[in-house]
Amino acid sequence: MLVTGCPHPHSAVTEIFDALNFLREAAEPTLRRFVQTHRGAARAEMRFEAVFSRYAVANDGTPRDGTANETAALGITVDCEGIGGFIGRGQTGLEIGRLALNNNKLSAALSKALENAFDRAKANVREHARVAKLFGLSGCDALPIEPSTARDEIEATFGRDPRTVGASELMNLCTEASSTVSALGKDIAYNAIAATLELRQELFVNSAGAMISQAFAFAQGDCYVVAQSNSGHQEIYDTIGQQRGFEALTEGWRDNLMPSADLRSFALQLAEEARELARAPVLQPPDREVVVVTDPHFNALVVHEIVGHPCEADRALKMEAAYAGRSWLFRTLEQNEIGRPIGSPLLWACSDPTINGYGHYRYDHEGTPGRRVIHIEGGVFRDFLNSRATAAVLRAEPNGSARASEAWHVPLVRMSNTFFMAGESDPAQIISEVERGYYVCGNSIPSIAESRENFRISARRIYEIERGQLGRLYRSGSVVADSKRFFMLIDAVGNDLRLIAIPNCGKGQPMQVKRMSNGGPTMRSRARLGGAIQ
Amino acid sequence: MMRTVNELKKFVREAQRILAREEQLAAYELYCSSSEHKVVRFNYTSDIPSRGIEEFKSLEADGFALRIVTKRDRHEIGHASIAGELGSAALHEALSRARLALMVDPHFPGFPSIPPSVEELGSARPNSDLFISSEGVLAASAWEIVCSAVKEFKQQAPLKLAHPGFVLGGDLSLIRERVAITNSTSGAILVDEGAHFVSGVTILIEAFEAKGTATAIGGSRADLQEAAASLGRDAVRRALELRHGERPDGGQYSVVLGPQPVAEILNYIALPSLTTAAFQTSSSVYQGRFGSEVMDPRITLCDDPHASESPLIRHLTCEGLPSRKTELIRDGRLVGLLSSFYDSNRLMNDEERDKKLGPGFQHFGSEFPPYSAYRLGEGAARRFDALPRATPTNVVMSTRGGVDDEDLLAAVGDGLYIGRVWYTYPINGQRAGDVTCTVSGDSYLIRCGKFTAPLAPNCLRLNANIDQVFRNPLAISSKSQPAVIWGSPELYFVPAIAVKGLSLAPIGIAEAMGRG
Repeated sequence: MLVTGCPHPHSAVTEIFDALNFLREAAEPTLRRFVQTHRGAARAEMRFEAVFSRYAVANDGTPRDGTANETAALGITVDCEGIGGFIGRGQTGLEIGRLALNNNKLSAALSKALENAFDRAKANVREHARVAKLFGLSGCDALPIEPSTARDEIEATFGRDPRTVGASELMNLCTEASSTVSALGKDIAYNAIAATLELRQELFVNSAGAMISQAFAFAQGDCYVVAQSNSGHQEIYDTIGQQRGFEALTEGWRDNLMPSADLRSFALQLAEEARELARAPVLQPPDREVVVVTDPHFNALVVHEIVGHPCEADRALKMEAAYAGRSWLFRTLEQNEIGRPIGSPLLWACSDPTINGYGHYRYDHEGTPGRRVIHIEGGVFRDFLNSRATAAVLRAEPNGSARASEAWHVPLVRMSNTFFMAGESDPAQIISEVERGYYVCGNSIPSIAESRENFRISARRIYEIERGQLGRLYRSGSVVADSKRFFMLIDAVGNDLRLIAIPNCGKGQPMQVKRMSNGGPTMRSRARLGGAIQ
Repeated sequence: MMRTVNELKKFVREAQRILAREEQLAAYELYCSSSEHKVVRFNYTSDIPSRGIEEFKSLEADGFALRIVTKRDRHEIGHASIAGELGSAALHEALSRARLALMVDPHFPGFPSIPPSVEELGSARPNSDLFISSEGVLAASAWEIVCSAVKEFKQQAPLKLAHPGFVLGGDLSLIRERVAITNSTSGAILVDEGAHFVSGVTILIEAFEAKGTATAIGGSRADLQEAAASLGRDAVRRALELRHGERPDGGQYSVVLGPQPVAEILNYIALPSLTTAAFQTSSSVYQGRFGSEVMDPRITLCDDPHASESPLIRHLTCEGLPSRKTELIRDGRLVGLLSSFYDSNRLMNDEERDKKLGPGFQHFGSEFPPYSAYRLGEGAARRFDALPRATPTNVVMSTRGGVDDEDLLAAVGDGLYIGRVWYTYPINGQRAGDVTCTVSGDSYLIRCGKFTAPLAPNCLRLNANIDQVFRNPLAISSKSQPAVIWGSPELYFVPAIAVKGLSLAPIGIAEAMGRG
């Protein structure tokens, strides 16, 4: 067993994790045999996961809901080769749940899913050949780079196994935190405090010889608070998350890069902020570009939307054009920003799944090792995140960024821990150097232009800066800018890099919701501000 | 393979027998579902290697959820769900897990009493031949959409460019679902099933800075074939019409918002505020305004799970109650809210109810019947492991005194027609009602009440408040048209609305996007 730690004897059953032992033996020969015996099948791969999760939520100091779930899922991809090297792809996703407890039923589900995926891949090859003949289609010959042959086993990291935490224990944590928030008084109109624990074990096997087992533990706390005063109201929500056990929620996590408070302290801090904001005036934005100093939490959303998503190669290659748009960094294979300046020389950004963060992993869901990818190097755009297929199109090396939110989904190109890298300035000095400007703290809601060449991102708090000193606090403010201009005008980058947990990044059709980390240091640039809309 | 209705009923019947023997249980609810979402994703790019159909994929899930209440305390409830297996062993496992998850929720109101007449819904009535269509039909339809688009572009493009930057994206999705539900209040086993497809095609012609879209929804194989024949072609024609669009300055404009932008603003701002939970949690944009006029008196808005114009029909809620039309806004006045059984009771028993709803509640009093509780997963199909939550099905906006297209444009005079927006969010929180989004395609300049030139996609950002859009429109179209929102399970049938004084800010051209 890769999932270490001994489940409590009274916890929910955990035999579902044993299905991985069976599949370690059975999947590889099944996939190989399938490819050998099915004409046209070029390769096959299986993604399997067993997941235990426990969830609790309390509202206004009383329990609202609690549940434990244990399930298993299977994702199968089959590639078929057609005329001229065209690859047709078919996929089947199944939530098999308790069927995974029975080896015969699991084998049958695997075989059936392989057949379904093969039929779909074959149909694609056939139809593509017909269409190519009719219209002389060109350029549909992207061959994925050779499949992974990696073999590895990676354990989850936790102090307390999520399976050993009882329902009442998790609910008590939420209820106590929620009661503490409610006790702040009448100006807390509503609060919801939720906690999730998860243990996930994944197995990737393909017909080329790869077999990778990875386990993950997640602990997440989500807080939502509505505060109101005579002068206004404020809703805020935020998340803490660590790839750790229950201890991350009860004791917090001390770490230079992504520290987090315990759930109760975090909820209380958020509620205090909501109360303060409900009494603060709405920002009346100046009608001109102003100096803005942005804090690490706000920059997490900027890097997510303006660097991370546009650096996904599937988006750059227009595969997401109908959903979440294209990338401002790429027009064609010949016309793009690779090697060109897109920001100030102080600006660096990267994605790195190898460091501890909510988006940490060792291998992606195509079996490629994850590695640090530098997106922006001293203001110059360098590299995209990719999958094996998109790497082939871009004539790049795969960098291990194809990830699915669940095994039944198709892997998409995804961020991991994506952040603006640290500079050398003291954050206090960055503020003190400003004669007149605004300090923008905490991210709230983004709105992005189609290729992310422009954004309006709202902040939780905006402070005036007058002669280097923080002044009045405002709410309902946002930063509005064209992306490249905002990056070019950056004139200070702090040494206070922090990551935050992002629990809900949506992408694809159907929507896949993925966990990751984003962040950055304190930064200074120029932008317009937005306020409330009259 | 999806489970049949009879398989679901058989399991629920067996489960009833087992649960009846559990002496410590005061009440229970069993919800069972089998769902399937097949997706064929289009990806054809003229200048970048692509597969035409990126992949044909499916998600299948079946299982059940059990909620139990103990005799020890009528507010002590436990909840568990099981995937994959329907049988007595799985039920015993669920029972054991639900006991381990017991908690006391002082606001738990019990399970709804199912009216006896609903039992008549218990017979399985396949409502769509999409249930028996083969995968081949879906694949052939998807390839027809790709073929017709490429063919249309090759025939109609005014210039034969070596690198036109022609991009075809989108998907064809087929959603099928079956559910069975019972609870201990009546013992009836109720079933429901449905199948529909949704397809959206986006065409970009980057050399012409053009973008056009086409969408189809339907509930039968004939609808699917009709959509396959026209979608790709229509989207290309629209994109070609919109080539070389203008980039107007920012400022205040009179604007016709087409059905898609109206649906986006409803989806992201209005509908989340029109639930009992939003009022109970003090996060509705209409907080304290129940019974008041919140939209123009010409507007009526409802959620109708039986809408005749929609392929998405639901007979039963996921709490076992008959689904019904819920009138939300009548002649501009807020008169109803979407709700689940839990949320209705929670709001009605809230000691601050009158303050949260506002003075109009007493006059327009309602008990907020729970006609809208659904358990939905990714891809909009019903899922056993989701909790019932107030969710619309078919959002229908109708108009008194609506006008035709010509009069709608005339009402604006000089201004803009915005046919498609993107990334619409409540920028200052739900309750503030402020919305921002960018104009992403299908849009025109209006001069003297006529379309005079297309707008370049992504050249303007709209900043507005929901009240600006719906309180004092210049004119409203008399016809409601279907609109689909990416990632949202419900369908919209809404009119275009002419609005004055909307603020639009210019968006700079990114270098990589603008070159070439």
